[in-house]
Amino acid sequence: MEYAVETFSLTKVFSDWWGRDKVYAVDDLNLQVRYNEVFGLLGPNGSGKTTTLKLLLGLLFPTKGRVAVLGGYGADPKINARIGFLPEESYLYRYLNARETLDFYGRLFGLPPKVRKMRIEALLDMVGLKAVANRPVGTFSKGMARRIGLAQALINDPELLILDEPTTGLDPIGTRQIKDLVMELAKRGKTILLCSHLLADVEDVCDRISILYGGKIQAEGNVRDLLLRTNKIQITTDTISENTIEKIKLLIKDEHAECEVTSPMDKLETFFIKTVVDAQQQARPTSGAVSTTGISDFLAAETTQENVLDKLVSAPVSRQSPPEAPTTKSTDSRIETSETKPDDKLLRKLTKPDKPTEPKPVAGDRKVTTQPVKSKTPEPEQIRKSILDRLTNRSTPQNENEDSDSK
Amino acid sequence: MRNIWAVATNTIRQALRMKIAAVFIILLIVLLPVMGVSMTGDGTLKGRLQTFVSYSLSLTNLLLSLLTIIVSIYTLTNDIKQRQIYTVITKPIRRFQLLLGKLLGVILLNTALLALFSAIIYTFTVYTPKIYDAGEHELLQVENEFFTARASLVPPEVDVTQEVLEAYEERKKSGQLPPGLSEVELKKQLTKQKKLDKRAAIVGQQLVWEFNNVKVLDPNETLFIRYKYDVSINPPDEQVYSRWDVGDSRQYPAAFSSFMRKDPIRTFRELKVPANLIADDGYLAIRFLNVPLNDTTVIFPPDGLEVLYKADTFTANFIRAVLLMLFRLIFLASLGLLASTFLSFPVAILFCLCVFVTATFSGFCLESFDYLGENLTWVYSYTLRPIILLLPQFDKFNPSKFLVPARLLSWVLLVKVAGLMICIKTFLLLLLAVLIFSFREIAKIII
Repeated sequence: MEYAVETFSLTKVFSDWWGRDKVYAVDDLNLQVRYNEVFGLLGPNGSGKTTTLKLLLGLLFPTKGRVAVLGGYGADPKINARIGFLPEESYLYRYLNARETLDFYGRLFGLPPKVRKMRIEALLDMVGLKAVANRPVGTFSKGMARRIGLAQALINDPELLILDEPTTGLDPIGTRQIKDLVMELAKRGKTILLCSHLLADVEDVCDRISILYGGKIQAEGNVRDLLLRTNKIQITTDTISENTIEKIKLLIKDEHAECEVTSPMDKLETFFIKTVVDAQQQARPTSGAVSTTGISDFLAAETTQENVLDKLVSAPVSRQSPPEAPTTKSTDSRIETSETKPDDKLLRKLTKPDKPTEPKPVAGDRKVTTQPVKSKTPEPEQIRKSILDRLTNRSTPQNENEDSDSK
Repeated sequence: MRNIWAVATNTIRQALRMKIAAVFIILLIVLLPVMGVSMTGDGTLKGRLQTFVSYSLSLTNLLLSLLTIIVSIYTLTNDIKQRQIYTVITKPIRRFQLLLGKLLGVILLNTALLALFSAIIYTFTVYTPKIYDAGEHELLQVENEFFTARASLVPPEVDVTQEVLEAYEERKKSGQLPPGLSEVELKKQLTKQKKLDKRAAIVGQQLVWEFNNVKVLDPNETLFIRYKYDVSINPPDEQVYSRWDVGDSRQYPAAFSSFMRKDPIRTFRELKVPANLIADDGYLAIRFLNVPLNDTTVIFPPDGLEVLYKADTFTANFIRAVLLMLFRLIFLASLGLLASTFLSFPVAILFCLCVFVTATFSGFCLESFDYLGENLTWVYSYTLRPIILLLPQFDKFNPSKFLVPARLLSWVLLVKVAGLMICIKTFLLLLLAVLIFSFREIAKIII
């Protein structure tokens, strides 16, 4: 099994009522998604992205060709158990509340009640909907529904996550969260197939992309390679004097190269988040909207975690390597990615980690790490990590200990 | 199994929270007590009880049938239309499991509602005699003729083939064959004639029915001879005088008990006779005499005579009648699911209602088609008739048909109905539904 997702001359033709071929939605598509990569499927509207995903999952049957998902057929329950899928819109049962929705999907996976309950609470925390968990999802806004949609896709701790336009309907903060989450999951060894036409999203998170048009691949490759303009170099510095700039210009001129000096603009995304964050800080604590509080909770967990994981990466002894992850990715590039995000620091500053709370005991399958417990009080980082671990069902040594204590 | 259960509970939630079931539940909760109070029947306690049971069961049956059809169709078509099915079917659940889960949900909902409403009906029925300060006589009557379950004996159909053949040969010999009639048609006519002769008594004539193997649990019990008269000429007061002899006619003189009666025509009447008139070997003869007080030929319709005897309690019979209703609902639920695997909501509703109405009036349909002309009959017997016969016959197994005349609905019959309706017909529907659903492209938009 070389690829997590592979299609072989996949073709889907939609015919009209008389059986005449009408539309070639997907045309002789050969797609390969490697394990543990974030793969972006791009294309304008109607280019066959969603159709491809539906073919992968057995929601549509191919006219020609075949698909292999995690080494099997996408409609096979055994394979389905390892996939998380977020459709282009969050199709939810309007009459269930958020918690019931997740419970329903958890039960479809046959998760035992204890694991289910634990994961539901962790996911609700993560997508920031804990405060509205008892409201029917029919009353949710599009963005909130999207969050629940994402949570249901994660309830089985999938190896392969298929996301169809994950950020539609989300505000910039939500979008940022999803992007961070995708990167975080990739770090944990998941494979992510992302389908979008929002190029900014894809550019930030994807390792490789394919651009579809008319059901065919028009371009494919590593994002950095595709976007690298080989004959240009950019130098970014702190503010320097006019004098120095002139000196540099001269130096460059000596090399017979052209040069342009500008002040870099903030990304609108960064500016937006900064504005919202400022507003939140000024507001009285009680007036904060419920959902907003939820979001910042989630962000805190996410960003701190990223931080923790970065540290863990440099100290390999404390990091569990996910069993299914062939480490094809250089961790350095990951760190670099997170450093290039100007908003991260800002968010971290805002949602300062509060005092550590005792993590809940974790049920479910445990992968025991060999690291011994040194202190009774867990480090804050450790706790942060445990929140995500609850999600992905891996326990930290601290949790292990507590579990055995409680028995 | 866990995922089937998840779908089932979700289906029940859907039916309840989307308020589909609410209309029906409220309607029944309001109407049943109102019916219990307002229905008086013919004024007697028995009449009151019969009317209430008949109407309340029919209403419950009708409303729950409609609810079943709507819920079973809504739950799947809505999932497909609103596309929640995208997130469900991509989880580790097979398509037949999804269908089974939906079916289980609808059946569970039905079972709960049916249990609730039949409990209401049962309670009202049982407490009615206590509420209406009925007299001793009336109480005894309902005890014997309503709060019981009576098995029935029907006289075997008389074989007239030989007689028809003889009559035909006779006419042929004497050259009296009517022109323009084929042999088959004439024989058909003769058969009808002879059969009618066996059921008709001119003034002064008697008719005898004989039964073997009549087994009554308690010889001190009462037997009920249930009958209905048709007449050739309407008597002025629409009444027929008669003498009934019941007992053992094989010995001489016959050990008969005689009963003089005067009954209205064209309605079912019951004659009570002691069960000890049955001979020790289970033989029983019943003789009807058209007494000279009448001025008309008395004809018993084909179902015009039977002997009833107590065989079980009302409660047991009631429970079986409710089970019969449940079978019907299970069939309808599978039908609804089948329809929703390939039809949209409105079309599927229409389809199921057509089937429901046809099954409800299947007896009437089959009968009325028999009166069609020769050529049409041929077409019909190869098209509509098999289809109607394939459907379950709801009217034949209507619970009121058993409870109102206090007739035994035996376990044997119940198992037979279950076998036919559930094990065969419902299973076939489900099989077809699974086949269609498995090969359907869920995400394909059909306009």
